[in-house]
Amino acid sequence: MQESAQPALRANAGVGWTPFLFLLPFLFFLILFWLVPLVGGVKMSLQANGFGEAEYVGLNHYLILAEDERFFKAIRNSFVYTLASIVVIVPLSLWLAHLLRSTFRRLRPVLTFALLLPALTPPSVLAVLFLMVFHGKYGLLNQLIVLPLGQAPISWLKDQDFILAGLVLQTVWRWTGFMTFFILAGMEGIPRVYYEAARLATGSRWNHFWHVTLPQLRPVLLFVAVYLMVDGFSLFSGAYVLLGGSGGTADAGLLTITYVYQKAQFLEYGTASAISISLLPVMLAVMGAFLFLRRRIA
Amino acid sequence: MSQANPTQSGLLRRIVSSLLLLPFLLAVLYPFLWMVFGIFKTNREIYQPLSLWPMKPLDTEYWSGIADTFFPNEFSMQNVRDLLVGKWVPFWDVFGNSLLVSLGQALGAVALSAMAGYAFARFQFRGKRMLFLLAIALILIPRQLFAWPLFSWANTLGLSDSLFGVILPGVVTGLGVIYFTQVFRQLPEEYLQAARVCGAPELRVFLTILPLVWPSLLSYGMIHFILAWHEHLVPMYMLTTESQKTLPLALTKLYDVSQSVSQGAQMAASTFALIPTAVLFAVCYRKFKSSLSEML
Repeated sequence: MQESAQPALRANAGVGWTPFLFLLPFLFFLILFWLVPLVGGVKMSLQANGFGEAEYVGLNHYLILAEDERFFKAIRNSFVYTLASIVVIVPLSLWLAHLLRSTFRRLRPVLTFALLLPALTPPSVLAVLFLMVFHGKYGLLNQLIVLPLGQAPISWLKDQDFILAGLVLQTVWRWTGFMTFFILAGMEGIPRVYYEAARLATGSRWNHFWHVTLPQLRPVLLFVAVYLMVDGFSLFSGAYVLLGGSGGTADAGLLTITYVYQKAQFLEYGTASAISISLLPVMLAVMGAFLFLRRRIA
Repeated sequence: MSQANPTQSGLLRRIVSSLLLLPFLLAVLYPFLWMVFGIFKTNREIYQPLSLWPMKPLDTEYWSGIADTFFPNEFSMQNVRDLLVGKWVPFWDVFGNSLLVSLGQALGAVALSAMAGYAFARFQFRGKRMLFLLAIALILIPRQLFAWPLFSWANTLGLSDSLFGVILPGVVTGLGVIYFTQVFRQLPEEYLQAARVCGAPELRVFLTILPLVWPSLLSYGMIHFILAWHEHLVPMYMLTTESQKTLPLALTKLYDVSQSVSQGAQMAASTFALIPTAVLFAVCYRKFKSSLSEML
């Protein structure tokens, strides 16, 4: 998905207002249901907590947040959670896509579909399944991994050292198959001649992967990373069902969006909005990085 | 479709790859099997842990013990019946609402994004770059981040506790716009020239070439349907009446740690909630994958 320089002859120069006619419905809904609420959020973050026409308190909420340890903990957790899921999911799904390409042709669609089943499941269902199957003293994670190593069973949801790891595992379980599907589609789009050319240079499969597959997959990998990032920061359902809207023991699993939810739950709408708004610079920085990378790829 | 690595893919390689995939398949599929069997279980059976450790692979009693916990004692339809007659939640209303919301969002999003994508791909105009950046900002700053201001604004518009309060904000998507920009950019110029031949108005040209990109329309519609089907936070604020709620909300209500709700009913609802998206994806699988392969 890249925006390349538009050759002049393909574009339809000098058509006046026609493009805006096509953009009009999109822009209308964009302004009405995105821009207005976003500005509303900024305004709310400058007002006292509570309903209706509240008085302006300036940057008060932000100043309080600047000294709020839970806020920084939530931001930190969201970062760790998002980065960890990207770091685990991307290589794993690259490997799985490679395995899928190497299996029997007829099995490939069935196996791919089976792997991405969690992505089709509503997050609230996933969280329940994850909770009941993998978690807890008698959960499969303990029985298959921890107990055989001779360790005491881990209480994944209560032990503060493991809550975040549990959330990451849930995300990995949810998205790996789906990302594998995207990478597989990307791999099948790589022209065959590239490999034929590469084979002339070297017979090593690793070199083919490193010098042909990986560079060709850069747009897909960028898409996957951005998707996981947005999901990581705005995800709500998973953590909500797993931890019931709390941050878990010692807030070890408190994510930014959960914290926003908690503040809104206690009718502290001003504070809740201030948390959301203070994420915007982060998102814009990511956008800058994204555009920079995209230009380098194109 | 190109087959990039046709040689050296010996039988052994295929078998080894399949075997390596096996543990991943088990990890993914096991919870779903557990969910389906859970429909027929009582709460006590559901919460009974599967005891694999210590392992005695040669002991038949060990295996029959595992089978006893994994399979239900009897295949009773009581939980399904309770769910469908609305003992815990108005299931049919909720299911219908979810269908309406997801279909509405998907259709709206495809229409708006295809038009916007066409404009971005086919025209040069002032402010194009800025508007395109706006579409990217839209991806990075999803409405879930400011769900509460969105709710209070929708409330002002009179959309709270109405399905439209969930559908209308859900038709704006940055991902869709970028996807369709790419789709229309890759469409050969000759098609457009042919469509323009009689000096038809640009809207007519657009409608003429739409059938040419139907796999992309279908693919994006499907993805958007799935995202809408899973949406949790915005409906949670927006919808308050029980019969107005959507599936994810009902599912959280059915998941009850105090166990007063039969968890088998929750498993049944979960299974039903998975069916539409799974069927949709299975049906569109090939089209979706090949349209992605062409684009990426």
